[in-house]
Amino acid sequence: MRRYVTPVLVAAALVAVATTNWSGRSLDAESIFQLLILALPLAGIYALAATGLVVVYSTTGVFNFAQGGIGMLAAFVYWELKVNQEMPTAVALVATVFVFAPLTGLVLERLVMRHLVGKDLVVQLMVTVGLLFGFIGIANTVWDPNAGRSVPTLFGRDGIEIANITLTWHRLIALSVAVVLVGGLRFLLYSTRTGISMRAVVDNRGLAALAGIPAGRVSRVSWMLGCVLAALSGVLIAPETGMSAGGALTLATLVPGFAAAALGRMRSLPLAYAGALVLALLQQFSATFLSFGGRWAQVPARIPEMMLFATLLFLPAANVRFARITAVRRRGRVVRPREGAVGLLILALFIPFLGSLLTTTNLSRLTLAMSVAIVALSLVPLTGWAGQVSFAPLAFAGIGAAVFSQIGGAEGHPWAVLVAAALTAPVGTLLSLVAVRLQGLYLGLATFAFAFVTRDVILNQPFAFGGQSLPAPRQTWFGFDVSDNSDYLILATVVFGVVGVALLMLRNSAWGRRLVAMRDSEAASATVGVNLFETKVAVFTLSAAIAGLGGAFIAMYHQQVAATEFEALASLGLVLQMAIGGLGFITGAVFAGVFQLPIQIVIEKWPGVSLFRGLERVAPGFGALGIIQNPDGAVVAIGEGFAPQLPGRNDAKEHLRALRRQRAARYDVESAELGLSTPINVSAVSALERKLGVTADLAEAPA
Amino acid sequence: MTGARLDIDRVSVRFGGLLAVDTATLHVESGSVIGLIGPNGAGKTTLFNVITGLLAPSGGAVLLDGRDLSNAKPYKRARRGIARTFQRLEAFGSLTVRENVMVAAEMRRRWAGRFDASSEVQAILERVGIAHLADARAEDLPTGNARLCELARALAVAPKILLLDEPSSGLDEDETDRLGLLLRDLAADGLGVLLVEHDMPLVMTTCDYIHVLDFGRIIARGTPSEVQSDEQVQRAYLGAKESA
Repeated sequence: MRRYVTPVLVAAALVAVATTNWSGRSLDAESIFQLLILALPLAGIYALAATGLVVVYSTTGVFNFAQGGIGMLAAFVYWELKVNQEMPTAVALVATVFVFAPLTGLVLERLVMRHLVGKDLVVQLMVTVGLLFGFIGIANTVWDPNAGRSVPTLFGRDGIEIANITLTWHRLIALSVAVVLVGGLRFLLYSTRTGISMRAVVDNRGLAALAGIPAGRVSRVSWMLGCVLAALSGVLIAPETGMSAGGALTLATLVPGFAAAALGRMRSLPLAYAGALVLALLQQFSATFLSFGGRWAQVPARIPEMMLFATLLFLPAANVRFARITAVRRRGRVVRPREGAVGLLILALFIPFLGSLLTTTNLSRLTLAMSVAIVALSLVPLTGWAGQVSFAPLAFAGIGAAVFSQIGGAEGHPWAVLVAAALTAPVGTLLSLVAVRLQGLYLGLATFAFAFVTRDVILNQPFAFGGQSLPAPRQTWFGFDVSDNSDYLILATVVFGVVGVALLMLRNSAWGRRLVAMRDSEAASATVGVNLFETKVAVFTLSAAIAGLGGAFIAMYHQQVAATEFEALASLGLVLQMAIGGLGFITGAVFAGVFQLPIQIVIEKWPGVSLFRGLERVAPGFGALGIIQNPDGAVVAIGEGFAPQLPGRNDAKEHLRALRRQRAARYDVESAELGLSTPINVSAVSALERKLGVTADLAEAPA
Repeated sequence: MTGARLDIDRVSVRFGGLLAVDTATLHVESGSVIGLIGPNGAGKTTLFNVITGLLAPSGGAVLLDGRDLSNAKPYKRARRGIARTFQRLEAFGSLTVRENVMVAAEMRRRWAGRFDASSEVQAILERVGIAHLADARAEDLPTGNARLCELARALAVAPKILLLDEPSSGLDEDETDRLGLLLRDLAADGLGVLLVEHDMPLVMTTCDYIHVLDFGRIIARGTPSEVQSDEQVQRAYLGAKESA
């Protein structure tokens, strides 16, 4: 019974949307044929992107969030060779797709990806999200984003005329490449030695390793192949989207690839092709027969995200996750509320002092940064402690901002910030009811889709922003006038501090321990009586409330606030900055908030320097590589160096000594007797298992 | 907690074409230590996953005191009195040993009424013999101690039935002997223990009754001495004679 509810609901929604937004065009054989002609090449491009994801994910276990970024970068390389260097099309194409792309894959595999296998999912995801940003940053650095450029279609505008529609050679090629690829991949996977090794790895990584299949080579080939496929999709889509690195060009294959691959649960190629076809058909159907206006105007643009979200709803509920203890130890310690209170008091005293030294512009930036830091706090319990990935903090902040202005904030009532938190919380509950069925990667993708749909559809509704900017005047707080940024900064810092200390109290409570326990092992948590569902829903709700509160403070910072402040990619950037700082730490949220400040100052100081053009993306993008070795983030590393210098912090000195001892302890007695060079502990065992490739656990066992 | 009884009633588990557990039937009662032995891949851990609700069986049922647990989520089963340890360690790696046990005790406080969790945790740590490691992080422990940490955590659930998945691996001989005594002690307190173990001396000295699992089927059962002299068991463990 229950399994029919979702399909029926989705189908009903589709029918309702289609009938209410019909453009008036008649549904005849000709228009349907035209729809197909337009949809098939698009499906081909999506299939390329999805295939790249599936091949890499199923052979290496790493989901490549940066797939669309690689395609984008390849499109720029192609433009450089073809247009700027005026090379012949064939040369430029071969150089891009068969030289640049595989080399990129090889370098990525060697420098980054091989270090990701078997790591914490949060680390895997953040690092590839970082690469996405890094690639966008590189493109903006090398190719001035303000200069107009476009990639010509292959063989111009000519083509063949079918049913009054010109099917350009370019689109015909896109379609043929995809079809040839289906055949080619089948040949590769079934008739070559490498391909058979790859399939063996897909079937059972542990067994394949025991059978002597070189996992390293399979991984290299997969990444090269994945990058070639990404490059093809990027070069083929570029003429249709234009050349915006941080926008349409990247997004045109990024989410469609996810959506198509998700239909095949990231593992099945035929289902991924079906997904690509369904998505292209939906988009062309909407473009041909439907017309959306007003508050629904952005719906057609968000079809891939909606399809991704809907597809994830259909996935069977995830099994309880068994632990994956990684070889990387967490180094951060649990901060006691009292210590935190002292630290945050110092921050509250220091920040205004800092503010008084800054220029008006930088003071304003710092004020916004502290408001954003409150939103970043929402990730501390959710992702940092409970290990639940969310890419949508700013979406919740946007909802909070809208609620704030709609209910009381516009009239200057201070209590409206609490209303914003209280009414954003149930939205978090609602999302979590859907999301807790999902796990890790799918949860991340669902929240990513949610971030887009919230920004472009939900926030555009009249009850939210309705496409306008809303008033959010700064109120008088307990008699204090905060209309000046210097005063508002103090308010934001104090609120940050209060929420921060409250979170620390929570972390030191039974519930806080339970969250971390759930992150470390869902299976063990469940078997000691933890209700995983209830715990996840609760932490999502709490997180949404904090983000909603932060949204109200962002709104008041701007005083006039619109949905554009809450872009999905900005959400992704904030999560990335938070991961670099330290997802599990209050100070990590400060770090995430102020991350861009020095970069903005640098860019402002040397405005003409092209090297800094992409820095806002390059810095967080490649900064995220640091969490491979230190998943606790930069604040822990900073703290380890800084805290022991402070008077009265003997505990920090002792902690540092213990860490050094740990690093120096190459031998323990037991291991030395066995002739081993490092002690055998849980991490060592898991490292060994990973080397042997026998990490398969119950969650991956055939069901 | 008198008279608790766990029944595993004709449980089967199928992974694709592989029948990992084939109509296994056994029961565990308060006050006894029941051994479950068999070669690697015989289905022991799979059976544990079924009992604790982490894996749905393809057939059969698990009953606690006659109540069918089939629709009970893992946390419900824990609250009804089933606790376990894991063969592949599932300690809460970033928490200290004390916190590992604390999480379980604090959960129980939610359904079993107020009690002083920290003093109880201390008592459990001392009983298991890892009180001196209380402030070490679980992921830094040698595997043997990490297993004891899991055992302590399981005890904090105050279970009626305790499932132990190879608790002695990683322990030295002395520690294994102490573990055996502890298990007998727990049984004397009224716990029912189901012990999966490769260390035969430990199994033979500790268990009241033993089931032998091979290729998902229970091929023999009996007291330690009966099982030791069983030909089928010897074949399963030592390899088939006809291959010689």
